[in-house]
Amino acid sequence: MERAVPLAVPLGQTEVFQALQRLHMTIFSQSVSPCGKFLAAGNNYGQIAIFSLASGLWVELGNSVLHFSLAHDGPVYSMVSTDRHLLSAGDGEVKAWLWAEMLKKGCKELWHRQPPYRTSLEVPEINALLLVPKENSLILAGGDCQLHTMDLETGTFTRVLRGHTDYIHCLALRERSPEVLSGGEDGAVRLWDLRTAKEVQTIEVYKHEECSRPHNGRWIGCLATDSDWMVCGGGPALTLWHLRSSTPTTVFPIRAPQKHVTFYQDLILSAGQGRCVNQWQLSGELKAQVPGSSPGLLSLSLNQQPAAPECKVLTAAGNSCRVDVFTNLGYRAFSLSF
Amino acid sequence: MSSESSKKRKPKVIRSDGAPAEGKRNRSDTEQAIEIEERRIQSCVHFMTLKKLNRLAHIRLKKGRDQTHEAKQKVDAYHLQLQNLLYEVMHLQKEITKCLEFKSKHEEIDLVSLEEFYKEAPPDISKAEVTMGDPHQQTLARLDWELEQRKRLAEKYRECLSNKEKILKEIEVKKEYLSSLQPRLNSIMQASLPVQEYLFMPFDQAHKQYETARHLPPPLYVLFVQATAYGQACDKTLSVAIEGSVDEAKALFKPPEDSQDDESDSDAEEEQTTKRRRPTLGVQLDDKRKEMLKRHPLSVMLDLKCKDDSVLHLTFYYLMNLNIMTVKAKVTTATELITPISAGDLLSPDSVLSCLYPGDHGKKTPNPANQYQFDKVGILTLSDYVLELGHPYLWVQKLGGLHFPKEQPQQTVIADHSLSASHMETTMKLLKTRVQSRLALHKQFASLEHGIVPVTSDCQYLFPAKVVSRLVKWVTVAHEDYMELHFTKDIVDAGLAGDTNLYYMALIERGTAKLQAAVVLNPGYSSIPPVFQLCLNWKGEKTNSNDDNIRAMEGEVNVCYKELCGPWPSHQLLTNQLQRLCVLLDVYLETESHDDSVEGPKEFPQEKMCLRLFRGPSRMKPFKYNHPQGFFSHR
Repeated sequence: MERAVPLAVPLGQTEVFQALQRLHMTIFSQSVSPCGKFLAAGNNYGQIAIFSLASGLWVELGNSVLHFSLAHDGPVYSMVSTDRHLLSAGDGEVKAWLWAEMLKKGCKELWHRQPPYRTSLEVPEINALLLVPKENSLILAGGDCQLHTMDLETGTFTRVLRGHTDYIHCLALRERSPEVLSGGEDGAVRLWDLRTAKEVQTIEVYKHEECSRPHNGRWIGCLATDSDWMVCGGGPALTLWHLRSSTPTTVFPIRAPQKHVTFYQDLILSAGQGRCVNQWQLSGELKAQVPGSSPGLLSLSLNQQPAAPECKVLTAAGNSCRVDVFTNLGYRAFSLSF
Repeated sequence: MSSESSKKRKPKVIRSDGAPAEGKRNRSDTEQAIEIEERRIQSCVHFMTLKKLNRLAHIRLKKGRDQTHEAKQKVDAYHLQLQNLLYEVMHLQKEITKCLEFKSKHEEIDLVSLEEFYKEAPPDISKAEVTMGDPHQQTLARLDWELEQRKRLAEKYRECLSNKEKILKEIEVKKEYLSSLQPRLNSIMQASLPVQEYLFMPFDQAHKQYETARHLPPPLYVLFVQATAYGQACDKTLSVAIEGSVDEAKALFKPPEDSQDDESDSDAEEEQTTKRRRPTLGVQLDDKRKEMLKRHPLSVMLDLKCKDDSVLHLTFYYLMNLNIMTVKAKVTTATELITPISAGDLLSPDSVLSCLYPGDHGKKTPNPANQYQFDKVGILTLSDYVLELGHPYLWVQKLGGLHFPKEQPQQTVIADHSLSASHMETTMKLLKTRVQSRLALHKQFASLEHGIVPVTSDCQYLFPAKVVSRLVKWVTVAHEDYMELHFTKDIVDAGLAGDTNLYYMALIERGTAKLQAAVVLNPGYSSIPPVFQLCLNWKGEKTNSNDDNIRAMEGEVNVCYKELCGPWPSHQLLTNQLQRLCVLLDVYLETESHDDSVEGPKEFPQEKMCLRLFRGPSRMKPFKYNHPQGFFSHR
């Protein structure tokens, strides 16, 4: 098959370096602004880019990237938005930015905090951030195998939840109770009650035969919960669990380990190693597989902000410098690029 | 009137009287005879009156006629007078107009203005009192003055002419004298040659060079001057020389009469040859092409000596019809180099100077006007002729002071000294770095082909002491083959794999694991890093599209290359990158999590010290080596 050779542009040292950087970029996290019109994406070089979804949708690409700044020293593993702030976390600390300021160049972080770590030899990363709106607090979890709770008003760290034996990948909030679910490298999903600060339930996924896949490992890469139900995946297969009985009800037949999963209307969307965003019915059937532009996906983000219904899109990002935008879940509309 | 009326009445009376006279015949014939006598006397009287009247009438008529005649004569006389006068008037008017139109020659002469005249003219000519009032006198005076001035100037002119003649004669004499001096000076210079040699002052040699330099075409001349200046001022290792035949150069500028003679000769010759054989169209076209690509017989040679005694020989040529300069390069080393197989292209004259500046591949002519010239003679592109003519790099044009701006095409491009001077230093430095890096690569390739990654002692700190993976193979790969590999698609799509780059394949092995690395070496090596793409064959094929850790390994080597540069001038970059790949493969294999379901021990026991095996959402392995503690951590 003939491969189209791109035009040779005289490349100086800086151009080559930038091209190489973009080739090896990984976008770990995304977050939608409270007004729904902007998307922030964080990559492995510590940069955060703000994309304008509105201009990307109605005008063909062009200058959809407003700007990006070097925010962190290490990769930006997770980001979450409150109604005024963007919180980003990576190598050991969480930083807060004002959304209104982010749209201008050269904005500085509002504050940054580091949870109290036990060891000082290596700074553990923060893999997951979770907002608990009822308490107005933020839960951080990552490399030190603990969940820290931080009060957003005062900035103090209130609780520490210990129980995981290996680092934590992902968090999910079960609103009714309120309970927090955390999945980690040790292969267990643990449920924590926030009021009592104790572990309520443990599900060791790899021990169940239906879903365990030893050749992939036992790590839990992604979690999502819908009060009674939970879907998790990673090393073991992507499985839907009934929480009260702690039994796996449906195993989704996909071989590649999934890195992000979320409930959407009556579907489950998942993405991981492999180009596609998978859409599953609750019964376990694959409804659609929509290919994206990155060879592997690490995060999905649904823009469901009520303030901008015209920007209601699904964005997916992963092992490349591009963020794919799906306006209709059936196909990829276009990509935004760093 | 009354006579006429009486005459008319008379016949009537007679007739009427005649009739009744017949009746009374008997009365008396005497009465009748008396009556007839009376009547006869009456008629005679009447006749006399008639005559008188007639005479009177005639006299009156004549008088009348005389009067008329007189009056008429008078009138005629007046008429004649009038006509005479009119004629005179006309004549006078003509004279007047003639006089009025008369332009005397003196009005054509440009006289000096009135004020000037009164200022300059001597008083005996200007006679102010008389001339002020009388314009006629004034004009006369002015004309006088004019005449005098002219006479004076004519005198001066004659004097000057005679002076000039004299001086010309003097010049002739002096010229003869000087030309007689020339051979004497030559003999003195000859005599001084042995003195110069004795004192090591080769003025003569430099003088000769400057002599030949006079015949150089402008761009080569600019290059020669700037290079000599730079060599004298900044860089003693640079030497400049002119090669070629001066006579041929002189022959290019023969005066036209000679060429006409040649033409007539050649015409005669042509006639002869056409009788014998007509040259074919192809041969004609070939000749035209050769004519278009003709080089100037003189060329400038630059020798750049590097620290390790290797020399870069550059020969610059000028293509006259195309108005561009080209260069041919050759590298000679102090010791004889044994060229390893993979290093074939590194020092080849064709490619050693490729892309000295980014994008300057030297295959296309930089002068946009040349395209039209090529179309006329059927040359597609200059790259076909580049091997024999040399490469027309852009920096070569700049060193010759030729600037071909893309936006405003100029009519004629003239060689410019300042352009050359501004580029000389950077270009010379780049040339030296290029030669040195290529030579360093040459040596490194020799070692790589034997499976040893040559890491110098000052870069040893970048790697742990024990590296188990070994480099097994190092070969060159053709550009097309590189593009066909399945794991290099990203690099090709990003436009980093052009045809000016050199491509290699390295194979690193440890146990059953084989890591293939496809390397893109940019001609601007060591300021532009080599780019690696990996494919690991161990328990399946892993590339950057299906394994995040392979991608991370590529990132370690491609993006974080600045740590691996080593001491300036960073010739160690490639070997350090290869060594790092070996280390990364070690880490990858040893930190692979063991599959509990499969029996048997791990193939590669963990020997590297790592704080954590996995980190982050993509579960990266610890690829970063920390010195001097010697453990591996994550970036």
